Amino acid sequence: MKRVYAIFSALLKSWLRSKTGIFFSFLFPVMLLIIFSTVFGGGGSSQYVLFVQNFDVQDDAPTNLSTAFIGALEATDTFDIRHLDTTVDIKTYVRENPSFSFRYRVLQIPHGFEEKSLSKSMSVRIDVVMDTLTIMEQQYAAYMEEADLQQVEKGKALLTRLEGTLPTEPPVILLVTDEQDMAAPALTGIIYGVANSFSNNLIGTEDIVTITGEPLEQRTLKVADYFLPGFIAAFIMTNGIIGATSTISEYRRDGQVKRMAATPLPKISWILGNILQQTVLAFILTGVMIILGWVIFGVRLIPNVYALLLILTGAVAFCSVGMVLGGVIKDVEAANGAGNAIAFPMMFLSGAFWPIEQMPDYLQIVAKFLPLHYFHDGLLQIMVYKNPGQSLTGFVVLGTFAVVFILVALKVTKWKEL
Amino acid sequence: MEKVIEVEELLKRYKNVVAVNGISFDVYRGEIFSLVGPNAAGKTTTVEILECLRTPTSGSATVLGFDVTTNEDAIKRRIGVMPQDFNTFERLTVTENVELIARIYNVKPDIEQVLRELGVWEARDRRFEALSGGMKRRVGISMALVSDPELLFLDEPTTGLDPQARRETWEVIRRLKKMGKTVVLTSHYMEEVEALSDRAAVIVQGTIIAKDTVDVLISQYGGGFKVNVANGDKRIEELFTQLAETVISHEKGVTGTFQTRQEASKALASVYQLGDQYTVDITEPSMDDVFSQLAGGRVDERGELV
Repeated sequence: MKRVYAIFSALLKSWLRSKTGIFFSFLFPVMLLIIFSTVFGGGGSSQYVLFVQNFDVQDDAPTNLSTAFIGALEATDTFDIRHLDTTVDIKTYVRENPSFSFRYRVLQIPHGFEEKSLSKSMSVRIDVVMDTLTIMEQQYAAYMEEADLQQVEKGKALLTRLEGTLPTEPPVILLVTDEQDMAAPALTGIIYGVANSFSNNLIGTEDIVTITGEPLEQRTLKVADYFLPGFIAAFIMTNGIIGATSTISEYRRDGQVKRMAATPLPKISWILGNILQQTVLAFILTGVMIILGWVIFGVRLIPNVYALLLILTGAVAFCSVGMVLGGVIKDVEAANGAGNAIAFPMMFLSGAFWPIEQMPDYLQIVAKFLPLHYFHDGLLQIMVYKNPGQSLTGFVVLGTFAVVFILVALKVTKWKEL
Repeated sequence: MEKVIEVEELLKRYKNVVAVNGISFDVYRGEIFSLVGPNAAGKTTTVEILECLRTPTSGSATVLGFDVTTNEDAIKRRIGVMPQDFNTFERLTVTENVELIARIYNVKPDIEQVLRELGVWEARDRRFEALSGGMKRRVGISMALVSDPELLFLDEPTTGLDPQARRETWEVIRRLKKMGKTVVLTSHYMEEVEALSDRAAVIVQGTIIAKDTVDVLISQYGGGFKVNVANGDKRIEELFTQLAETVISHEKGVTGTFQTRQEASKALASVYQLGDQYTVDITEPSMDDVFSQLAGGRVDERGELV
């Protein structure tokens, strides 16, 4: 253990004296935190652009009902409504006005929207009355006078005649969206909800089921708080896989490994000394990242003992992967390339920066095979949802990874050339 | 004399290349023994087998009585090594690097004494990366020496150094011998081997082509002492014909070759008896001549056989 500590302290001192090394070690996670917190949680608008073409015009003015419908859409606070002249051909307009800042979504309110809506609502009201009268006749006939029953029959005949005179075609709103628009299904659902509620109001009924909103987390958390577990996990992973791989292959190229191998230092002490140094480094930088998050973004999360244990397990696991890569790949440039090739796809595919539900199905399956997925998910459960029990999978996956890769590192680290 | 290294028929093969081809030699306690030859001759492979950093294909080797294939830890605890192209943690100071090795060996040496003996005490607080090439090698030797080993391996200790730094390193190596250490040295500098070694083995293409004390090697393969009389005439030619092993008359004068220094001195005295009009110089045989004689070529500054 003394030798492990000797290697650890030498490596840590060496790292602490590398100004550029420290600068870039800090820069990477801080930049990620700033970029993601700004993009996803900053002051930018969260509304979606929706173009509206209102063809329902009377005397050169939009009808009251079509205006009310557009007002109902605006009231959701979801849409940035932009009116488009009805003479504009959508396809031509989109081609001539390309946009990189939003996706085109166009809602067309047809001519006759008000008239059809009113007649359809009348038709529905009549159906409801007819239905009510029929049920009344069937269930309460025994309690009614014969004269009353005849009056009811007369009324039903009158309503049937009246309904027959009404236009039956319902008003149909057209929503034109881009095939690549990932938000289109969700936005269509919102518009459908508004239309449904609008229809209910037209027939004089209330929405029976209502929804009320409440934040999932009772404590007041900021966007950066939700990103923080993902950042910590992704950072520790890149630090281990890219950092350790690069360091080990450089030590081998520069002769430090041979110098150590020529002493009675056991190979496992060298490996554990390196892993310990990278792990402490990960802890230091994680602490710095949380402090910066606290100062700049008002992050409120503080890792508890479970989070620290999971961070420790993750750091050991990913540093072990780095030790293996650095041990296997002789060329420094190739080792750096391999580290990047593994770390970056894992960072983006594991769902550390966005929910994996937003990814295609096959990528969601890929994510389940990536240890980083269990790492950030475990940290999220512990730090945000205060549910350490749910992080057990993370501990098991990362712990297994750590043991397996330390054993592989022991095998592939050459203390003696054959 | 006690043998500290015994090598018998040592062979090292990498796929289709034979790096060390069945060599045998012994190293005795307290001597400086050199493996001398051009690049890729098998010098480093040989010492790395003895340092337990490589596995031999066949043959046997013992270091301080321990087999290199079965007693790695015992050997590593008793030897000091300065590998080829020596490097260490660049951002650590001289003292920190030496202390690291002491902690690995679990020893508590008088580091000041070690650093003073090797002339790096003044640079003790400087980072390794800030040192000159010569100082770096001396730090390397300090690190090899910190565990007070019986036997030191110095692999190409002066390669790439300027002449001044090289000679300073030689002084350090001579001091190691005075300290009672046995030193195994590899080098492609013939001058260095001649200046430092008690015994040497000339190795070319994985094979030892000669091994003995440096004096014996020079006397056997050095080609003798050459006395050149720049304005030599018929009288000199006749004199040398009587005294020298070989006589060559050429544009620059007459050159006689003598087996020993005494014979050359006697010839020189005879030349001056003939008159003081002659310009005479003596060229002593060297390891360079030995190598040239044995390998049919010379080794240039970069270690290439030319």
